[in-house]
Amino acid sequence: MLKYTIERVLTFIPMLIAISLLSFVISINAPGDPVERLAKSAESEGSAQEQSGASKKIKAELRKKLGLDLPIFYFSVSNLSTSDTLYRIQDKYHKATLEHLTHKSGNWSKVSDYYKELLSLQKVHMKLNSKDIFESQTELELNTINEAVNQVGFEINNLLETSEGELIDLSFSKIDDKLSNYSFLSSLNSRFENVKKYKNEINISEDKWRTYIPKINWYGSKNQYHLWLFGNGKDRKGLLRGDFGISYIDSQPISTKIWQKIGISFSLSLISILLAYLISIPIGIYSAHKKDSAVDKGFSLVLFILYSMPSFFVGTLLLLQFANPDNLAWFPVSGIQDPTLFDPEWSFWTKIKHRMPFLILPIITYTYGSFAFLSRIMRVGMIDVVSQDYIRTARAKGLGEKKVILKHALRNSLLPIITVFAAIFPMAIGGSIIIEVIFSIPGMGVEVYNSILNYDYPMIITVFTISGFLTMLGYLVADILYAVVDPRISYK
Amino acid sequence: MSTQKTENFSFKKYAWNQFKKDKIALVCLYLLFSLVVLAVLAPYIANERPLYADYKGYKLYPAFASESRTDSIFKSDGKLDEILQYDITDWRTLDFNKVVWAPIPYSPSTMDRYNRDYVSPSGKQRFKNKNGEITDAPSKFRHKLGTDGIGRDLAAGLIHGTRISLMVGLVSMGIASLIGIFLGALAGFFGDNKLKMPRIKYYFTLIGLFFGLFYGFGHRKYALADGFSNGIMSGMIELMLSILVLVLSIFLFRFLSRLIKVDKLQEETFVPIDTFVSRGIELLNSIPRLLLIITITAVVERSIWIVMIIIGITGWTGIARFTRAELLRIRSLEFVQAAESLGYSAKRTIFKHALPNALAPVFISIAFGIASAILIESGLSFLGIGVPDDIVTWGSLLNLGRQNLEAWWLIIYPGMAIFITITIYNMIAEASRDALDPRLKS
Repeated sequence: MLKYTIERVLTFIPMLIAISLLSFVISINAPGDPVERLAKSAESEGSAQEQSGASKKIKAELRKKLGLDLPIFYFSVSNLSTSDTLYRIQDKYHKATLEHLTHKSGNWSKVSDYYKELLSLQKVHMKLNSKDIFESQTELELNTINEAVNQVGFEINNLLETSEGELIDLSFSKIDDKLSNYSFLSSLNSRFENVKKYKNEINISEDKWRTYIPKINWYGSKNQYHLWLFGNGKDRKGLLRGDFGISYIDSQPISTKIWQKIGISFSLSLISILLAYLISIPIGIYSAHKKDSAVDKGFSLVLFILYSMPSFFVGTLLLLQFANPDNLAWFPVSGIQDPTLFDPEWSFWTKIKHRMPFLILPIITYTYGSFAFLSRIMRVGMIDVVSQDYIRTARAKGLGEKKVILKHALRNSLLPIITVFAAIFPMAIGGSIIIEVIFSIPGMGVEVYNSILNYDYPMIITVFTISGFLTMLGYLVADILYAVVDPRISYK
Repeated sequence: MSTQKTENFSFKKYAWNQFKKDKIALVCLYLLFSLVVLAVLAPYIANERPLYADYKGYKLYPAFASESRTDSIFKSDGKLDEILQYDITDWRTLDFNKVVWAPIPYSPSTMDRYNRDYVSPSGKQRFKNKNGEITDAPSKFRHKLGTDGIGRDLAAGLIHGTRISLMVGLVSMGIASLIGIFLGALAGFFGDNKLKMPRIKYYFTLIGLFFGLFYGFGHRKYALADGFSNGIMSGMIELMLSILVLVLSIFLFRFLSRLIKVDKLQEETFVPIDTFVSRGIELLNSIPRLLLIITITAVVERSIWIVMIIIGITGWTGIARFTRAELLRIRSLEFVQAAESLGYSAKRTIFKHALPNALAPVFISIAFGIASAILIESGLSFLGIGVPDDIVTWGSLLNLGRQNLEAWWLIIYPGMAIFITITIYNMIAEASRDALDPRLKS
């Protein structure tokens, strides 16, 4: 028994690692740049110039805080041509461009020269001030100057974010055009010539073979995955210690958001699971007891049909019938309380009484989802148990039918449905998204739904990871309980 | 049973006879066939373009032509009269000599601007007739099941939704069965202690796998991305190429391993393939499936195909478990042992002898899987996640009804469509379980 438990726990750990890896892989593949998202929600007001400087600083800080300046994993597999310091480049799009350029040419040092020259070109361009230029000459209007300067800036940005040969050539010719037309842009000339020269060198370098030779880089524990999971001992505590990151929507810590919402989802799923047990166990026992009778067959058919009825259809039907002024307006349509009446100072029971009408339809829908399933399992389990030898023995020694069923058979037939109980914790954190959305219950389900609509990836990934962990924990506990409760079960 | 009868005994025939005894299941099977017919014929059942039209002496078959088609109509004296652009022509206003409309003369995504704002099936419906007057809709052109907020016909949406739901079941369970049967067969047939190979070959296979992944997927990363951005077909071709590189690389290294002759490395070692597969199943099972699918759809672009693929690659565990259990049982039977002792290769033994006899229970799992795939897809479209907004599915129609409870027809009809389809699959699965494997009968 102890050996089994230890073995089970030991297989539990690699599974946790696998889940964390899976969600990490999903999270780094999420589209968009997290820094941009977060910076947008924290953007301060000010003049354009000021703002771009300030937001750059904010972005750099955020990047550092999120650990995006670190390599992604403990090691990486790349080819001989790529640089092992590519991760230090801040901008996600620049990084992709450089990677692709290197992949095409196989020559990182040339690509890096090109990139550095482009950056310094951009720096020189930033120093250009249309007003000064305007005052230093008389021929051109401010608008024309502005336009030319902006267009060159735009093309430089394009160059930084594209690796397509044709697009690069197009941008080159556009900048060339502007440079030859406007003398005030002459300060860019030498830099731009350099850029073109380096680009040319990339094109003619024949190092493509380098991309065919694999290389493994080792980065050690200073990487994003490690930081995400274990923290760095300073500002980041890591997922394992309850630091789930910051929401993109309102920059709130995700753990706070979850704690605010989890209560309602948890109580709803707890209540409905208990209710489902209360209903399905007697039905299961009864149909198994009267196996093949008309009642049993009727129950089976009805349960089977109920089982095929999607809970979102049932929920919507309930709303249509019982929360609709056209039919019966017995219950409110949405929410869990009436904001005009609700008073947080109320005692626990008053709150419950107030919320009751709001919760009846959701609880019915919730319960419905598991009850048909549970009844069917219960019936099969019971039939299985009733045909066992020890039940025949119990009957043979003259016990009453009631005692046989309720005392001897029931206890053992309950085993298979214990597993279902293990699913309740993950259900609480994931919430039943569909049901909460139908009834607008402000729980975890709606939270997850909103975060999907708003592309709030940290929230989605956190919920995913935690519910994975909890499900596994549930299975672990259920398996061990099984082994404790039922001595017949021998695991090897 | 006489000897004659035993000799003619065929398991398929027996199972079919058993299945036929269940009258409800038989009805469901017929219903399924009619659903398939409905799905295949959907564009000709619900289409705003007529099936056949005699227009100014021209015989046209607009519903069968492509949407981008243009026809020039000439007058009798040879002058150009008008140009019919199939996609923008308002066919209902044309003056036909003779016309045969589709049974439902509306397409699922066209908006009827005279019947916007949730027109009920029995309510007043407006119609623009040939003279451009707005009248009550003639019974042919009534929206028999009502419309949604932007005037799309519900009946047409339901008919075309049949296609999507069938496709979801087919594609996703196709993928799931490929993965599930393959992995389950390997795990069940070889177990942990039957797949033996020299240690050197084992190591070289791993190296081959590494290089295969490197050249097939790492190095072709951009080729793959370009392929998929050009369309699903060219992406699939690139993917096939990558897989080919992977397989070739593994074979190359396995071949190379024969050249190395070091005694110590020739010792045979077991490949614990069953452990790998079982752990994989356990891992996938312990992640709430809907949440996994939602999480993945959140980071990829919205497309019905991607949703199907995701449902498929998260749904193979049940099939793999059944295949594994069946093969575990079958591999110790005489005919498999006979095949092995005749010196047949493992590949031939598994795929020609063992697997065909293991597929009956797997079929049941697939049928249940189709039901749950449809359930998941409609759940996702109900939430508006993963499936693009312009694709009309049963789930998205039901969602419209939820947002406007007064439009009861948008709740009842799509909901019933989902419910009936799922029931059909479940019933068939249940009945075939009883027919194929009486031991499992509950």
